Amino acid sequence: MSVTVSFYSYFKELTGCAQTAENLAEGSTLNDLYQQLAARFPRLAAMQKSTLMAVGVEYRERGYVLQEGDEVSLFPPVQGG
Amino acid sequence: MKSELTITADCIDESKLLSHRKMSEEMGAAIYFLGVVRATEESKTIDAIKYEAFQRMAEHQFKLLFDEIEKRWPIESIRLVHRVGVVKVNEPSLWVEVVAPHRREAFAACQWLIDEMKRVVPIWKKPLALNS
Repeated sequence: MSVTVSFYSYFKELTGCAQTAENLAEGSTLNDLYQQLAARFPRLAAMQKSTLMAVGVEYRERGYVLQEGDEVSLFPPVQGG
Repeated sequence: MKSELTITADCIDESKLLSHRKMSEEMGAAIYFLGVVRATEESKTIDAIKYEAFQRMAEHQFKLLFDEIEKRWPIESIRLVHRVGVVKVNEPSLWVEVVAPHRREAFAACQWLIDEMKRVVPIWKKPLALNS
């Protein structure tokens, strides 16, 4: 299956892109996706503990099972105000 | 509860916002908070902050916070404006207004909203030193 991944804030600089498309096996979780991304973007891997993940407009835990076409977002802690 | 959210690259016009305030006759408290960009960020002098939002998710997360406020306090209305893009030092980046029957719930809801916003609403800031 295929999902799209968007990066926000300085994660765009760490990965060198704002968006990427990823292919994963059926039943893959957000954590599987994260490990795949961390292998390709080592600077992103260094931010593992502080990385927030969302699917669509909802925060999701690493165990969330992805679906075909999901829109995943990765970003650092938020800082509004 | 009425809520009005604006995430905008335009400057925050306080006088216009205040002129549009609506309160029913049972409301006794209207408070507002203005967040302003400071000249120092993490001990460094800056000229501005660039705000970036994941707009669609930010709007959704703000709605969840407004829904929670409605459950917790008898608030009549909330208006919130957050800037995106470059906001210079001394310019406001955030404006929040809460209208309630009494000051206690108005202050509590406003404080809670801003605290939670900083925890869950996907907006980020990047300090800019324009001359360096």
